[in-house]
Amino acid sequence: MADNFTGPIERIDGCRWRIPKSYKPGMRVDGLIYADDRLIESIKGDRSPEQVANVACLPGIVGYSLAMPDIHWGYGFCIGGVAATDPEAGGVISPGGVGYDINCGVRLIRTDLSLADAQPRVERLVNQLFRDVPCGVGQCGRIKFKKPDLSRLMEEGSSFVVRQGLGWDEDIQVTEAGGNIKGARPDFVSDHAYERGAAQCGTLGSGNHFLEVQVVDRVDDASVAAALGLEQGRITIMIHSGSRGLGYQVCEDALKELKDVPQRYGIDLPDRQLVCAPVRSPEGERYLGAMRAAANYAWCNRQIMTHLAREAFARVFEQPAERLGMRLVYDVAHNIAKMEPYEVGGRQSELCVHRKGATRAFPPGHHELPAKYQAVGQPVLVPGDMGRFSYVLVGRPGSMEHTFGSSCHGAGRRMSRSAAIRASKGRSIKRELADRGVIARARGRTGLEEEQPDAYKDVQDVVGVLHEAGISHKVARLRPIGVIKG
Amino acid sequence: MTRPTKLRRPAVCPPSRPRVTRLAVPAGYEFFDHTADLGVRVHAPDLAGLVAPATQALYAAIGELKSRRPGRRRRFELAGSDPAGLLRDFLAELLLIFERDQEILLDPEVRRFDDRTLVVEGRLSPLDPETSILDREVKAITYHGLEVRQDHGQWQATFIVDI
Repeated sequence: MADNFTGPIERIDGCRWRIPKSYKPGMRVDGLIYADDRLIESIKGDRSPEQVANVACLPGIVGYSLAMPDIHWGYGFCIGGVAATDPEAGGVISPGGVGYDINCGVRLIRTDLSLADAQPRVERLVNQLFRDVPCGVGQCGRIKFKKPDLSRLMEEGSSFVVRQGLGWDEDIQVTEAGGNIKGARPDFVSDHAYERGAAQCGTLGSGNHFLEVQVVDRVDDASVAAALGLEQGRITIMIHSGSRGLGYQVCEDALKELKDVPQRYGIDLPDRQLVCAPVRSPEGERYLGAMRAAANYAWCNRQIMTHLAREAFARVFEQPAERLGMRLVYDVAHNIAKMEPYEVGGRQSELCVHRKGATRAFPPGHHELPAKYQAVGQPVLVPGDMGRFSYVLVGRPGSMEHTFGSSCHGAGRRMSRSAAIRASKGRSIKRELADRGVIARARGRTGLEEEQPDAYKDVQDVVGVLHEAGISHKVARLRPIGVIKG
Repeated sequence: MTRPTKLRRPAVCPPSRPRVTRLAVPAGYEFFDHTADLGVRVHAPDLAGLVAPATQALYAAIGELKSRRPGRRRRFELAGSDPAGLLRDFLAELLLIFERDQEILLDPEVRRFDDRTLVVEGRLSPLDPETSILDREVKAITYHGLEVRQDHGQWQATFIVDI
């Protein structure tokens, strides 16, 4: 089988490309990829468009099988994929549409610190964060939760850890779903998952997870940026992590449990990584309950790291975090499935929206947004790479019309890990980053090499497509000055 | 085709630390490119022979894992419907044990491996944090591209680990 995609991709306009449902038997809807002329060529370089077509075969899928411009090859679903299924029409839930790292996501914390304030202490700050925020393989969190507490944490989400003094009440308001997706069923989470998760809440992990100290490098929309508490030259902190071993195990368990379920319900799948169950089935409800519990764990994980980052800043800048203005801007999930209402075929339907490497991007006025963001829309946090930029966008009405309230989640890889290591031969990525003004600390030997800036597409190209398409709107560009990785 | 890549392999055990029990130098596997993760291809003259290099490949994907103690005997018995699924399930169990208990499997010996059953015995030994080097967190052994096949008298297994 060829490594690149050779099927039909038809240009709709400057931002959208269609894979017609006539491409392969079983496709129920067209595939639709958001990309510009340049990005689409790189997208055709792997088999992710085939995965877009495969997802279009899922029972109950409505609209399109969608892919964002940061699309790349995943398992079953492509990374950057969005699919909405209608439970009333036999719609399914697929763990592959969420991924192993359930509620992997990003949060952004703003500060009152200017670059000039921070610059003299950046190295000390990065070292402090590297000491205080557990990262890398096998690192335990500061708190080991016993099973009953872990169960409550998964049921209640962020508010559980905030009540323990690991956050501020206002953090909950600016976390997607208030940091608590309803319908979580910790009793559907296996003992193995509990065991993997017990000591990992409040840890970063490794791979592409990171904590960055950034500066607001450019403001694209001053009034929206002000509403978000962002201002040119101010310091921000971005945290990217998910549900750690607990979430991985929930997915692992689900893939095993659902292995024979499609056959039971007469569902024919083009790829066994797309195993699924009807949303309205005992098997589907079981996965959804466990997945929601893992999602709540992930919000707690990022909340605890926020607390640790605040403490590290307070120590280095010798002021309480409150006085440093370290307010949470927002926290978004980008690996999740949620029930959300949309109008389909003239009627309002509660759809199961899978976002696999895609971020929710609700527009101004959406009832789920906190009061402070009603006028500007939901912040969409898009990490880029550790040498260039990340972006803050806000959702636009186009997202509700075209992408089931979704936008991109990152820059998207363009180079495999092995290729990135080969490309690093004879170079010091740490020194190259330092030359760009980024102080980097990593636990693993190859973390910086595998995650080097060249391994990723330019996030500016990715967000540019969705800005043009009216899906999400550019607010501010963030430049890293310090990064810690596992 | 993707090009096989040799990632860093365990260094030779330093003579000043004679008590360290090390994994044997990995053989019979190679890593190959996958966009965000890591592909593993294992080969052996027979089906049972795939288990040891697959185990070593899993640990090498994580880093250089070493143990100080001989460990305790452990028997793994897995039931399934095909060799690829059985090998994947076995590796997933090793991953769980590594993450939960910080133990690694040494000297795996295959007692039985066919379409329905995999039985492996070996020594589970505590990871030595002093001498081990941990590079990557493996989230899972995926089903993506999962395959065990026989080709020209050689057995080959392919799987992708989620990083």
